Amino acid sequence: MQLIISAKSSGPGGNACKLAELPRVETGQRFTEALGHAAAEVFEMMVGTPLSLLDQDTPPGFADYTAMIGLAGDLCGVLSFRCGNPTAARIAGLMLGSTEAASAESIRDALGEICNMVAGSFKAQISDIAAQCMLSVPMVVSGKDYEMYPLADGLRIQVSRSFEGALVWMTLDLHGG
Amino acid sequence: MKELRILIVDDSSVMRKIVDRSLRQAGLNITEVFEASNGVEALARMQQTRVDLILSDINRPTMDGLELVKQLQAVENAKGVPIVMVTTEAGEAHVVRALSSGARGYIRKPFSPDQIKERIIPLLQGKK
Repeated sequence: MQLIISAKSSGPGGNACKLAELPRVETGQRFTEALGHAAAEVFEMMVGTPLSLLDQDTPPGFADYTAMIGLAGDLCGVLSFRCGNPTAARIAGLMLGSTEAASAESIRDALGEICNMVAGSFKAQISDIAAQCMLSVPMVVSGKDYEMYPLADGLRIQVSRSFEGALVWMTLDLHGG
Repeated sequence: MKELRILIVDDSSVMRKIVDRSLRQAGLNITEVFEASNGVEALARMQQTRVDLILSDINRPTMDGLELVKQLQAVENAKGVPIVMVTTEAGEAHVVRALSSGARGYIRKPFSPDQIKERIIPLLQGKK
Protein backbone atom coordinates (compact mmCIF):
# COMPACT_ATOMS: atom_id res chain seq x y z
CA MET A 1 0.00 0.00 0.00
CA GLN A 2 1.23 3.50 -0.74
CA LEU A 3 0.32 6.41 1.49
CA ILE A 4 0.64 9.72 -0.29
CA ILE A 5 0.95 12.58 2.15
CA SER A 6 -0.93 15.65 1.03
CA ALA A 7 -2.14 18.69 2.97
CA LYS A 8 -1.91 21.43 0.44
CA SER A 9 -5.07 23.36 1.09
CA SER A 10 -4.94 26.90 2.32
CA GLY A 11 -5.61 27.45 5.97
CA PRO A 12 -7.97 29.69 7.89
CA GLY A 13 -8.57 32.97 6.15
CA GLY A 14 -7.02 31.64 2.97
CA ASN A 15 -3.45 31.81 4.28
CA ALA A 16 -0.92 30.26 1.96
CA CYS A 17 1.75 27.93 3.31
CA LYS A 18 4.81 29.92 4.29
CA LEU A 19 7.47 27.27 3.84
CA ALA A 20 8.64 28.55 0.46
CA GLU A 21 9.46 31.94 2.04
CA LEU A 22 11.69 30.45 4.73
CA PRO A 23 15.43 29.69 4.49
CA ARG A 24 15.52 25.93 3.97
CA VAL A 25 18.57 24.89 6.01
CA GLU A 26 17.93 27.12 9.03
CA THR A 27 14.26 26.22 9.03
CA GLY A 28 15.10 22.52 8.90
CA GLN A 29 17.46 22.84 11.85
CA ARG A 30 15.02 24.91 13.87
CA PHE A 31 12.07 22.60 13.16
CA THR A 32 14.16 19.53 14.02
CA GLU A 33 15.07 21.03 17.38
CA ALA A 34 11.49 22.15 18.06
CA LEU A 35 10.11 18.70 17.19
CA GLY A 36 12.61 17.05 19.53
CA HIS A 37 11.67 19.42 22.35
CA ALA A 38 7.98 18.90 21.71
CA ALA A 39 8.30 15.12 21.89
CA ALA A 40 10.42 15.34 25.05
CA GLU A 41 7.86 17.59 26.74
CA VAL A 42 4.92 15.35 25.84
CA PHE A 43 6.59 12.15 27.02
CA GLU A 44 7.83 13.65 30.27
CA MET A 45 4.53 15.26 31.20
CA MET A 46 1.87 12.94 29.80
CA VAL A 47 3.53 9.52 29.61
CA GLY A 48 5.76 10.00 32.65
CA THR A 49 8.77 8.43 30.96
CA PRO A 50 11.39 10.55 29.23
CA LEU A 51 12.65 9.92 25.74
CA SER A 52 16.39 9.42 25.31
CA LEU A 53 18.67 10.52 22.56
CA LEU A 54 19.96 7.69 20.43
CA ASP A 55 23.66 6.81 20.44
CA GLN A 56 23.66 6.93 16.69
CA ASP A 57 21.32 8.16 14.04
CA THR A 58 19.29 5.00 13.81
CA PRO A 59 17.43 4.79 10.51
CA PRO A 60 13.70 4.29 10.99
CA GLY A 61 12.47 0.77 10.49
CA PHE A 62 8.93 -0.40 9.95
CA ALA A 63 6.33 0.60 12.49
CA ASP A 64 3.29 -1.30 13.66
CA TYR A 65 1.48 1.94 14.41
CA THR A 66 1.51 5.30 12.65
CA ALA A 67 -0.39 8.21 14.19
CA MET A 68 -0.85 11.22 11.92
CA ILE A 69 -2.15 14.73 12.22
CA GLY A 70 -2.55 17.34 9.51
CA LEU A 71 -1.41 20.95 9.66
CA ALA A 72 -3.00 23.63 7.52
CA GLY A 73 -2.50 27.37 7.32
CA ASP A 74 0.92 28.99 7.71
CA LEU A 75 2.40 25.50 7.53
CA CYS A 76 0.77 22.73 5.52
CA GLY A 77 1.66 19.11 5.95
CA VAL A 78 1.44 16.04 8.12
CA LEU A 79 3.17 15.07 11.33
CA SER A 80 3.42 11.37 12.02
CA PHE A 81 4.50 9.45 15.10
CA ARG A 82 5.55 5.83 14.63
CA CYS A 83 6.49 2.97 16.87
CA GLY A 84 6.29 -0.80 17.25
CA ASN A 85 3.44 -2.72 18.85
CA PRO A 86 5.01 -3.40 22.29
CA THR A 87 6.03 0.24 22.58
CA ALA A 88 2.57 1.43 21.59
CA ALA A 89 1.00 -0.82 24.22
CA ARG A 90 3.46 0.38 26.86
CA ILE A 91 2.81 4.05 26.06
CA ALA A 92 -0.95 3.51 26.26
CA GLY A 93 -0.62 1.63 29.56
CA LEU A 94 1.45 4.42 31.09
CA MET A 95 -0.96 7.09 29.91
CA LEU A 96 -3.90 5.16 31.33
CA GLY A 97 -2.04 4.54 34.58
CA SER A 98 -2.89 0.87 34.29
CA THR A 99 -0.84 -2.28 34.58
CA GLU A 100 -3.39 -4.22 32.57
CA ALA A 101 -2.83 -4.71 28.85
CA ALA A 102 -4.24 -1.78 26.90
CA SER A 103 -6.92 -2.56 24.35
CA ALA A 104 -6.29 -1.90 20.66
CA GLU A 105 -8.74 1.00 20.88
CA SER A 106 -6.87 2.54 23.82
CA ILE A 107 -3.56 2.14 21.99
CA ARG A 108 -4.89 3.98 18.95
CA ASP A 109 -6.43 6.62 21.16
CA ALA A 110 -3.19 7.13 23.11
CA LEU A 111 -1.01 7.38 20.01
CA GLY A 112 -3.41 9.82 18.40
CA GLU A 113 -3.20 12.02 21.47
CA ILE A 114 0.60 11.78 21.55
CA CYS A 115 0.72 12.93 17.95
CA ASN A 116 -1.81 15.68 18.64
CA MET A 117 0.14 17.01 21.63
CA VAL A 118 3.52 16.81 19.89
CA ALA A 119 2.05 18.80 17.00
CA GLY A 120 0.55 21.37 19.38
CA SER A 121 3.77 21.74 21.33
CA PHE A 122 5.78 21.99 18.11
CA LYS A 123 3.46 24.72 16.86
CA ALA A 124 3.78 26.62 20.13
CA GLN A 125 7.57 26.63 19.80
CA ILE A 126 7.48 28.12 16.32
CA SER A 127 4.55 30.46 16.93
CA ASP A 128 6.33 33.29 15.12
CA ILE A 129 6.02 31.22 11.94
CA ALA A 130 2.91 29.17 12.59
CA ALA A 131 0.58 31.61 14.36
CA GLN A 132 -2.21 30.78 11.91
CA CYS A 133 -1.85 27.04 11.69
CA MET A 134 -4.68 24.65 12.47
CA LEU A 135 -4.43 21.00 13.42
CA SER A 136 -6.73 18.29 12.13
CA VAL A 137 -8.21 15.53 14.24
CA PRO A 138 -5.54 12.80 14.50
CA MET A 139 -5.84 9.43 12.81
CA VAL A 140 -3.97 6.20 13.47
CA VAL A 141 -2.97 3.49 10.99
CA SER A 142 -1.95 0.03 12.19
CA GLY A 143 0.03 -2.42 10.08
CA LYS A 144 3.39 -2.35 8.35
CA ASP A 145 2.57 -2.93 4.73
CA TYR A 146 2.82 0.60 3.45
CA GLU A 147 5.34 3.28 2.60
CA MET A 148 4.95 7.01 3.03
CA TYR A 149 5.91 9.27 0.13
CA PRO A 150 6.19 12.99 0.70
CA LEU A 151 5.14 15.28 -2.12
CA ALA A 152 7.78 17.05 -4.18
CA ASP A 153 9.27 20.40 -3.13
CA GLY A 154 8.50 19.80 0.50
CA LEU A 155 10.58 19.64 3.64
CA ARG A 156 10.92 16.41 5.58
CA ILE A 157 12.05 16.55 9.20
CA GLN A 158 12.70 13.29 10.98
CA VAL A 159 13.42 12.91 14.68
CA SER A 160 14.17 9.53 16.24
CA ARG A 161 14.33 8.83 19.95
CA SER A 162 14.61 5.89 22.31
CA PHE A 163 11.67 5.08 24.55
CA GLU A 164 12.71 2.53 27.19
CA GLY A 165 15.23 1.20 24.67
CA ALA A 166 12.79 0.96 21.76
CA LEU A 167 12.81 3.23 18.75
CA VAL A 168 10.09 5.80 18.24
CA TRP A 169 10.20 8.40 15.53
CA MET A 170 8.39 11.41 14.26
CA THR A 171 8.29 12.65 10.71
CA LEU A 172 7.10 16.08 9.71
CA ASP A 173 6.33 16.38 6.00
CA LEU A 174 5.68 19.97 5.04
CA HIS A 175 4.40 21.10 1.71
CA GLY A 176 6.54 23.57 -0.20
CA GLY A 177 3.77 26.14 -0.55
CA MET B 1 -11.00 21.26 50.42
CA LYS B 2 -14.55 21.31 49.11
CA GLU B 3 -15.88 18.12 47.56
CA LEU B 4 -16.10 18.46 43.80
CA ARG B 5 -18.15 16.96 41.00
CA ILE B 6 -16.58 17.48 37.63
CA LEU B 7 -17.38 16.89 33.98
CA ILE B 8 -14.53 16.04 31.59
CA VAL B 9 -15.29 16.40 27.88
CA ASP B 10 -12.77 14.94 25.44
CA ASP B 11 -13.08 12.59 22.48
CA SER B 12 -10.07 10.68 23.79
CA SER B 13 -10.85 8.30 26.65
CA VAL B 14 -7.13 8.16 27.44
CA MET B 15 -7.04 11.94 27.81
CA ARG B 16 -10.13 11.90 30.04
CA LYS B 17 -8.30 9.48 32.33
CA ILE B 18 -5.18 11.68 32.36
CA VAL B 19 -7.19 14.80 33.19
CA ASP B 20 -8.99 12.96 35.99
CA ARG B 21 -5.71 11.64 37.41
CA SER B 22 -4.00 15.01 37.14
CA LEU B 23 -6.83 16.76 39.00
CA ARG B 24 -6.52 14.26 41.84
CA GLN B 25 -2.72 14.58 41.85
CA ALA B 26 -3.19 18.33 42.06
CA GLY B 27 -4.95 17.75 45.37
CA LEU B 28 -8.55 18.41 44.36
CA ASN B 29 -11.10 16.53 46.42
CA ILE B 30 -13.08 14.93 43.62
CA THR B 31 -16.06 12.86 44.66
CA GLU B 32 -17.64 12.25 41.28
CA VAL B 33 -16.41 12.42 37.69
CA PHE B 34 -18.71 12.50 34.68
CA GLU B 35 -17.27 11.93 31.23
CA ALA B 36 -18.48 12.94 27.80
CA SER B 37 -16.79 12.24 24.49
CA ASN B 38 -18.32 15.21 22.66
CA GLY B 39 -20.37 18.35 23.13
CA VAL B 40 -23.69 16.66 22.51
CA GLU B 41 -23.09 14.15 25.30
CA ALA B 42 -21.85 16.94 27.57
CA LEU B 43 -24.99 19.02 27.00
CA ALA B 44 -27.19 16.01 27.72
CA ARG B 45 -25.27 15.35 30.92
CA MET B 46 -25.56 18.94 32.05
CA GLN B 47 -29.34 18.91 31.51
CA GLN B 48 -29.49 16.27 34.24
CA THR B 49 -26.57 17.02 36.52
CA ARG B 50 -25.03 19.89 38.42
CA VAL B 51 -21.22 19.94 38.60
CA ASP B 52 -18.63 22.28 40.11
CA LEU B 53 -16.24 22.38 37.17
CA ILE B 54 -16.20 21.49 33.48
CA LEU B 55 -13.00 20.72 31.59
CA SER B 56 -13.31 20.44 27.84
CA ASP B 57 -11.00 20.02 24.91
CA ILE B 58 -11.63 22.15 21.82
CA ASN B 59 -10.75 20.20 18.70
CA ARG B 60 -13.00 17.18 18.15
CA PRO B 61 -15.23 15.84 15.40
CA THR B 62 -18.65 16.29 17.03
CA MET B 63 -19.52 19.72 18.50
CA ASP B 64 -16.19 21.32 19.33
CA GLY B 65 -15.36 22.87 22.68
CA LEU B 66 -16.11 26.45 21.71
CA GLU B 67 -19.58 25.57 20.48
CA LEU B 68 -20.17 23.61 23.67
CA VAL B 69 -19.25 26.63 25.80
CA LYS B 70 -21.73 28.77 23.87
CA GLN B 71 -24.54 26.23 24.16
CA LEU B 72 -23.91 25.65 27.86
CA GLN B 73 -24.86 29.28 28.50
CA ALA B 74 -28.47 28.28 27.89
CA VAL B 75 -28.34 25.33 30.31
CA GLU B 76 -29.60 26.15 33.79
CA ASN B 77 -27.32 23.63 35.54
CA ALA B 78 -24.25 25.15 33.87
CA LYS B 79 -24.86 28.72 35.04
CA GLY B 80 -21.93 29.91 37.12
CA VAL B 81 -19.97 26.72 36.56
CA PRO B 82 -16.39 27.49 35.50
CA ILE B 83 -15.43 25.96 32.16
CA VAL B 84 -11.75 25.38 31.46
CA MET B 85 -10.50 24.50 28.01
CA VAL B 86 -7.80 21.80 27.90
CA THR B 87 -6.28 21.73 24.47
CA THR B 88 -3.22 21.54 22.28
CA GLU B 89 -4.37 24.69 20.47
CA ALA B 90 -2.71 27.30 22.68
CA GLY B 91 -2.02 30.14 20.27
CA GLU B 92 -3.10 33.61 21.32
CA ALA B 93 -5.99 33.63 18.86
CA HIS B 94 -7.33 30.36 20.26
CA VAL B 95 -7.06 31.58 23.84
CA VAL B 96 -8.90 34.79 23.00
CA ARG B 97 -11.63 32.88 21.15
CA ALA B 98 -12.08 30.46 24.04
CA LEU B 99 -12.22 33.13 26.71
CA SER B 100 -14.51 35.36 24.70
CA SER B 101 -16.88 32.45 24.09
CA GLY B 102 -17.34 32.09 27.83
CA ALA B 103 -14.56 29.79 29.04
CA ARG B 104 -12.99 30.90 32.31
CA GLY B 105 -9.59 29.28 31.90
CA TYR B 106 -7.21 27.61 29.54
CA ILE B 107 -4.76 24.75 30.00
CA ARG B 108 -2.38 23.72 27.26
CA LYS B 109 -1.68 20.05 26.64
CA PRO B 110 0.74 18.65 27.66
CA PHE B 111 0.32 19.74 31.25
CA SER B 112 1.56 18.83 34.71
CA PRO B 113 -0.55 18.45 37.86
CA ASP B 114 1.11 21.65 39.12
CA GLN B 115 -0.12 23.56 36.11
CA ILE B 116 -3.62 22.17 36.66
CA LYS B 117 -3.48 23.26 40.29
CA GLU B 118 -2.26 26.72 39.37
CA ARG B 119 -5.10 27.28 36.89
CA ILE B 120 -7.99 25.47 38.55
CA ILE B 121 -7.80 26.26 42.25
CA PRO B 122 -8.11 30.05 41.89
CA LEU B 123 -11.15 29.49 39.68
CA LEU B 124 -12.79 27.26 42.25
CA GLN B 125 -12.04 29.81 44.95
CA GLY B 126 -13.63 32.49 42.79
CA LYS B 127 -10.39 34.42 42.45
CA LYS B 128 -10.43 34.67 38.66
